[in-house]
Amino acid sequence: MRLSDASAVGDATVALDRGLLTRGDRVQLLRLMEMMRAAEERGLALYKQGKVPGSFYDGRGEEAISVGAAFALGPRDRLCILHRDLGAHFVRGVTPDRYLANYMGRAGGVTGGKDGNMHFGDRALGCVGMVSMLPDMAPVANGIALAFKMRGEPRVALTFFGEGSTANGQWHEAMNFAGIHRLPVVFVLENNRFAYSTPNQLEFAVDPVERASGYGFPGVGVDGNDVEAVFTATAAAAERAREGGGPTLIGCETMRMHGHGAHDDMSYVPAALREEWERRDPIDGYAARLVAELGFEESEVSDVRAEVRSYVAECAERALASPPPEPEVAGEGVFAERWQPLGDGAAPWSRWAETGADGARRAA
Amino acid sequence: MSSSPTERPAEAALVEVAMPQMGISVAEGTIVEWRKRPGDWVEADEPICDVSTDKVDVEIPAPTAGRLARILVEPGETVAVGAVLAVLDGAARPGQAHPQESPPPVAAEPPAPELDRSGFYSPVVRRIAAEHGVELERVEGHGVGGRVRKADLLAFIEHPEPEPTPEREPALEPAPERAAAASPAAEPAELLGPSHREPMSPMRRQIARHMVASRRGAAHCTTVVEVDFSRVVARRRELREAMARRGVNLTYLAFVAAETVAALARHPVLNASVEGEEIVYHEDVNLGIAVALEDGLIVPVIRQAQRLSLEGLAAAIGDLATRAREKRLHPDEVRGGTFTITNPGQFGAVLATPIINQPQVAILDLEAVVKRPVVVEREGEDSIAIRPLSYLCMSWDHRALDGAEAARFLGGIKHGLEQAD
Amino acid sequence: MAELTYLEAISDALRTEMRRDDSVFCLGEDIGAFGGAFKVTAGLAEEFGADRVLDAPLAENAIIGAATGAAIEGMRPVCEMQFADFVACGFDQLVNVAAKLHYRQGVAVPMVVRLPSGGGFSGGPFHSQNPEAWFLQAPGLKVLAPATAADAKGLLASAIRDPNPVCFLEHKGLYRHVRGEVPEGEYTVPIGKARVAREGAELTVVAYGSAVHLALAAAEQLGEEIEVLDLRSLCPLDREAILASARKTGKVLIAHEATRACGAGAEVAALIGEEAFEDLDAPIRRLTAPDVPIPFSPPLEQAVLPQLEQMKEACRELLAY
Ligand SMILES: Cc1ncc(C[n+]2csc(CCOP(=O)(O)OP(=O)(O)O)c2C)c(N)n1
Ligand SMILES: [Mg+2]
Repeated sequence: MRLSDASAVGDATVALDRGLLTRGDRVQLLRLMEMMRAAEERGLALYKQGKVPGSFYDGRGEEAISVGAAFALGPRDRLCILHRDLGAHFVRGVTPDRYLANYMGRAGGVTGGKDGNMHFGDRALGCVGMVSMLPDMAPVANGIALAFKMRGEPRVALTFFGEGSTANGQWHEAMNFAGIHRLPVVFVLENNRFAYSTPNQLEFAVDPVERASGYGFPGVGVDGNDVEAVFTATAAAAERAREGGGPTLIGCETMRMHGHGAHDDMSYVPAALREEWERRDPIDGYAARLVAELGFEESEVSDVRAEVRSYVAECAERALASPPPEPEVAGEGVFAERWQPLGDGAAPWSRWAETGADGARRAA
Repeated sequence: MSSSPTERPAEAALVEVAMPQMGISVAEGTIVEWRKRPGDWVEADEPICDVSTDKVDVEIPAPTAGRLARILVEPGETVAVGAVLAVLDGAARPGQAHPQESPPPVAAEPPAPELDRSGFYSPVVRRIAAEHGVELERVEGHGVGGRVRKADLLAFIEHPEPEPTPEREPALEPAPERAAAASPAAEPAELLGPSHREPMSPMRRQIARHMVASRRGAAHCTTVVEVDFSRVVARRRELREAMARRGVNLTYLAFVAAETVAALARHPVLNASVEGEEIVYHEDVNLGIAVALEDGLIVPVIRQAQRLSLEGLAAAIGDLATRAREKRLHPDEVRGGTFTITNPGQFGAVLATPIINQPQVAILDLEAVVKRPVVVEREGEDSIAIRPLSYLCMSWDHRALDGAEAARFLGGIKHGLEQAD
Repeated sequence: MAELTYLEAISDALRTEMRRDDSVFCLGEDIGAFGGAFKVTAGLAEEFGADRVLDAPLAENAIIGAATGAAIEGMRPVCEMQFADFVACGFDQLVNVAAKLHYRQGVAVPMVVRLPSGGGFSGGPFHSQNPEAWFLQAPGLKVLAPATAADAKGLLASAIRDPNPVCFLEHKGLYRHVRGEVPEGEYTVPIGKARVAREGAELTVVAYGSAVHLALAAAEQLGEEIEVLDLRSLCPLDREAILASARKTGKVLIAHEATRACGAGAEVAALIGEEAFEDLDAPIRRLTAPDVPIPFSPPLEQAVLPQLEQMKEACRELLAY
């Protein structure tokens, strides 16, 4: 774990060890990452079959970030999830059929056809869907955190952004505001080397993780392809935030393994770079470690992966069966009749929820 | 209000000092004090008075050198922006004064010859003419260029006498509000002694209605079990500090909630509602937690409580209770409960028969955890020990279930709490 | 009832709503102890504390974005733009995030953006604009522009209680020049309802904001049967009230201080043209600023902003038509 100089705000990380995760949690982490990969592969296939209108974006190679970060949060915490972060939606309880239906513009999609690709969030699960403009959700996450802080609630807001968006003025506005008010917010930066075709060296002169200290809060660098590292850093940041310690920027080093969108052949990416990160695949890597270091059977791991793939296949059928929206829907819902609270999302980490072996005890 | 001038200078040499516009929206200002008296000599830009506006306080510099001829606004007076505050005699500097210019009168343009518009009919004129079968050529126009205006046409058409407006039916007396419940005849006042009367708060009224309706509608039964909280006390001691660091207050109630949620999974009929002759089983456990307020009671709901661990429940209970007391709950957070727990034990109560929160089928009541002597059996030997005990009292609806199921449900919770690990 | 200025009425609405509902808070530049550039929030920080009258850094997207997030979570933020002109710097959060959240995801965003707008004080091109039409093209935003002190209070209270993002245009020229009877305590005026400010049978002047006062002055001075309809709410627009008055008089002048092309008046004209054509006895006319920025120098500014004489002339022409 790399830490930028933030002596002004004291000790940046709460020592958290990997003992925070039970065996059941680890199964979940593997399962959710595999679910994201399988669902995006299905989505891409549907796109190529002409079933997805518009464009298609995925987060291949970045599964550990959204899964690891979202896994650390409690049900009453809130998230603004970005376009490489399908795993976070799955952690909160969105099912792959609703994701695929959303991409296809079907009535059963999370937005019911009102918005497409990754521009969704299920309000019932405590999520606010992203807008295209980057990184517009960072100021919004601040506002959510501001509400928590004003009401004295021990809750956290979390949002993601790519390293490209850190060049935008709103990023500065958001970091500065969060720093001034010591908001209970966690910023998860995904440095996947590129913003569309623009490489890191044309995006910034100073790494955004280091810039965090300039705003008065810690920037923590982690291996974005290590799901437990991302989880641990996020859990620590969330705990800090809950205790009134203010924001944290978690910089996750990773690589976008597909083009910016399905229309991009990423010819600008050097082959060597691609190969290097291919070897660091977050899912294969975690599966191997579960067996080599964490006492899992080979077959256990492959069963989990196979099971989730067939589940995603079933979900794809359900998504395809979802009807197109009725045209009248286009004219509905411009204005709200009343405010309603967001719902609480799933929080499968065993500290918050009953999972795996712990859950089994209760169910018995 | 103005001091009289000591002498009368030539009008052309007079320079006015005006109330300045100190900021875009400022409309007026108040004189705080004059630094010069009439007759005093003033240098250009020398402050002559202080002005206060609702945005800033400023000193007003003299617009020119000269002698202060007249003060027109006294300290304490408030005048509009642009008002003349004083007059300076700039005669000492001849040629510098600016005579007031009045704008030259605008030369009246010769009127343009009018177009003949007698043949043009506006949409409304055409429509009204068609409706009344009027030949428009016969109507004299008084609009531009002889145009027939709507008013001209209406004058042309003879107005029918306005029909008498039908008499309004008298408004019905609003029905007298029916009392929520029949009250027994009042006691004779002289026997009661002094008393005073206050209307119920809206919340009281709501609780009163809701409770009476529940009593009337449900077949209330209450079952009580005694629970040994030793393990819970120990477990709480172990976990408490770490959770507190994370902002979570771990209470006995959280343990009871966790075991209740688990027990509801085994006894779905208790996580249900009675609707007519049907029982509706709910998949989610939306757990209501009754919170006592100064002036009543409110029951915020933890949605999908089955997904929460002990810590998750403790966090949710703490959050909802705090916000309930601070009246910061949202309407949706007090609706949609499927089972309720109430906790008067925190005030020392040891037994109660709560009323079911309709349309749920049961309500569980956690009483005070109190140290009591109990008979414990160890290796076949009975002895007396001191243990933290409490009663769990549950009122349930005999329409939905029977006593055995209620007892099994409570037994399951008891077992879970006594084995807490 | 108390006699208050338009500005005091706005402060009164903020204070009353903040007392009534803990979730209401103000957010903006220099609004705390300093009381704001126009002193609208003066005294609020003392009463409610700095946490509820939050001084924000110079960052309009951060302000509107934070308000959006807080509103999602059930707070009722009221942002102040120091001048309406600066909303351009927070425009993205307003039109791309706040305005569309309910349509896209059913997420309500109950927030208010207060916009001190309007010219007449040599504020120049960046402190004088009337940007209401920008928002009329962003479905999901409500747009209010009160003309009287009572409406300023009642509409702001309604805006705060509304579950949608509301742009609240407060004309700086009215702040201290307009005063009137304002109900004390809690007081709301329904959003989307126009007000007949003066009744008349021969001509309707549809106006809002500062133009209402020009229209009333013109009507009084001319002494004619002129009806003045104060829109108060530009979105939603009170279509029924506009059409009723147009049908009654058959002649309509639309007046606003904002620029002409695609302004609120163009929408009103189109509505009447579409729905009340057969009731028109004269062409619909508009009195607006021309399509130029608001210049600084007083004679230039006066040449651009609608003046009383122009209002009277336009009324005379239509009455004579
Ligand atoms: C303000 C803004 N400008 C341009 C775009 C178009 N755009 C979409 S994604 C993208 C690249 C984003 O890069 P980064 O933030 O690194 O995220 P990544 O896609 O790499 O995860 C661009 C330029 C946008 N969405 N928002
Ligand atoms: Mg990137």
